[in-house]
Amino acid sequence: MATLNLRNITKIYPHSGGEKKAKKKKSDSGEKKVNLQITDQGVVAVQKFDLDIADKEFIVLVGPSGCGKSTTLRMVAGLEEISGGELLIDGKLMNDVEPKNRDIAMVFQSYALYPHMTVFENMAFPLRLRKVPANEIERRVKEAAEILDITQYLDRKPKALSGGQRQRVAIGRAIVREPKVLLMDEPLSNLDAKLRNQMRAEIIKLRQKIDTTFIYVTHDQTEAMTLGDRIVIMKDGFIQQIGTPQEVFDHPANIFVAGFIGMPQMNFFDAKLLSEGGKYFVTVGGCKVELSAEKQKNLAAHKISAQDITLGVRPSHMVLAKQAGNTLSATVEVSEMMGSEVHFHANAEGRDVVVIVPTMNPDGSHIDTFTTGDKLELTFSGNVCHVFGKDGRNLEY
Amino acid sequence: MSEPAVTVKRPASLKKTILRLLLYFVVLDVCVITLYPYFAMLCTALKGRGEIFATQGTILPITALWSNFVDIWSLAPMAKYMLNSFLIAGGSTLIAMLCGIPAAYALARMKFKGQTAFLAFVIVSQMFAPVVLLIGIYQVMLALHLTDSIWGLIFINAAFNQAFTVWLLRGTFMGISAEMEQAATIDGCTRVQSMMRVLLPVAAPGIVTTLIFIFINAWNEYTVALCLIKTDTLKPLTVGINIFNGYNIIEWQYLFAASIFAIIPVVILFMCIEKNLVSGLASGGVKG
Ligand SMILES: Nc1ncnc2c1ncn2[C@@H]1O[C@H](COP(=O)(O)OP(=O)(O)OP(=O)(O)O)[C@@H](O)[C@H]1O
Ligand SMILES: [Mg+2]
Repeated sequence: MATLNLRNITKIYPHSGGEKKAKKKKSDSGEKKVNLQITDQGVVAVQKFDLDIADKEFIVLVGPSGCGKSTTLRMVAGLEEISGGELLIDGKLMNDVEPKNRDIAMVFQSYALYPHMTVFENMAFPLRLRKVPANEIERRVKEAAEILDITQYLDRKPKALSGGQRQRVAIGRAIVREPKVLLMDEPLSNLDAKLRNQMRAEIIKLRQKIDTTFIYVTHDQTEAMTLGDRIVIMKDGFIQQIGTPQEVFDHPANIFVAGFIGMPQMNFFDAKLLSEGGKYFVTVGGCKVELSAEKQKNLAAHKISAQDITLGVRPSHMVLAKQAGNTLSATVEVSEMMGSEVHFHANAEGRDVVVIVPTMNPDGSHIDTFTTGDKLELTFSGNVCHVFGKDGRNLEY
Repeated sequence: MSEPAVTVKRPASLKKTILRLLLYFVVLDVCVITLYPYFAMLCTALKGRGEIFATQGTILPITALWSNFVDIWSLAPMAKYMLNSFLIAGGSTLIAMLCGIPAAYALARMKFKGQTAFLAFVIVSQMFAPVVLLIGIYQVMLALHLTDSIWGLIFINAAFNQAFTVWLLRGTFMGISAEMEQAATIDGCTRVQSMMRVLLPVAAPGIVTTLIFIFINAWNEYTVALCLIKTDTLKPLTVGINIFNGYNIIEWQYLFAASIFAIIPVVILFMCIEKNLVSGLASGGVKG
């Protein structure tokens, strides 16, 4: 029911306690690798965030821990001051509007239910504050409870509910109001894997039942791919790419996006881009592949010259060659049998490579199996490889 | 709580048994040491004057004079003292909470310059014993025309307990996830509403505990009341019962009988605190 425009939004958390915090972050961020810019004013958590969200669109913000997803969401909600830029909801500037007047609802990662109220009261709370008549409250809460299948818990306190049930109540409290925008901050991350899959499906169903604009934060790429109309991939406070799930999967804008989206991760090789007779080729190891016509066109349009590149090929796009010659040789280190396919973890050109191979040919014959130490001869076609320059950007765009 | 109790019987090792016995012994000792004065108080309160001053005295009264507990109400304006104590303790608790809750909220939920310094200052203000401040307090009260007045004592007791209130409530508030209040502001609350309708109910156990502590502190206050109040009918219990501490003779039995009445509210309130501390009302709102 609403369009959102985020224009050049920036968030700077002012230094408090100063040095202490910065030091602490350095010491415990070993695996996280948060590289936020730190200026005199403070920690820059979000920078140059530009995004136009259409009515009823489902936007997913995804990225590694600490990249500024929650911060962005909280700025939309009005819980965090916007340090720079403009936020518009339905064309109206919202920067300095109180959260209660923005007509948004939010589901918190911690659920943030009111422990002293029953489930019914929790869900009725936003309606009571808006002076909705009692019978209308009753009707709407019952309706939301029905959708979320929590009718039998309406008289309970949150304490007496399981994690999944609490999550539903939190969602219920957000939807009873029929808000313009529904914000969700990692709503499923506290649930176990099975429940998460189930709730993910519920959210897809929920979306069909209620007409509203969604902004959904997650660090789980499966959630991002399955839920989002468009995905916003963030890193270190910057947007890396915005696009539909298919777009970001097929045309990653840079190495980070290429590596972040897709399981198992995309393989990367140190390779060369050659330009011979007006055609672009990539060479890696003993393998030389001509790029597809579309890629030729894109690269030519940007006047890309021959250079050292990082080549990206997804595991499922690596193909076993019948015989050696114009192939990439790899040595199998681990092979994982997954049923219908095998994942080979191999080493090629000093890089770890994952290759996914179906266990059976379409005609029903089994493919050759390989074990540790065996040599694989790999190829890939010219339309599934991604060419990244030394700065990590995809050279096609 | 609700899972079926499965008791696994293990052969108790000797070491464990000995440790356990030792623990019981220590606990018993502590109980006896702390409770004996009360026991002595009760015994004395039940004795006649003759028995108290007898050279071959016994600990237990030979004839229990329950009438002492009745007599004090007519020998002294006990009811008035008690009412004064209630007014002073209740009034100062109310004021301390009314000022302490917003202060603690600001310290727990907002960031401002000099916050740490302010908190340190609040703690430092607690380091002076009331006696040290007595002369200053007396002069201030004189200037405010609040000597010999219950209002004066209400304000002083509120002030004495303010630092403690702020620290205790700040701790309570900080222990409660701010996300609940943020959820409330998104749901349509103003900041004040989110505090009144979400934070305070969730913090209720901590608030009640603080409240009771202040009440007890103010109820027990003696020094300042002794110095400020001259009119007998304005005295709180702590000071008032000195009426039995005469020029010539101390009426121990009445003094202690009155003291027992004085400690009854304190004991009841302590029992309330204990109950409050045990019930974890705040759990369940957030995960975990
Ligand atoms: N109040 C704050 N003061 C200073 N820095 C902050 C504050 N809140 C967050 N940050 C920093 O801003 C960055 C972005 O935080 P944010 O919570 O938005 O990350 P996130 O993407 O939601 O991560 P996660 O997936 O772990 O929730 C983090 O590196 C964090 O350290
Ligand atoms: Mg977050």
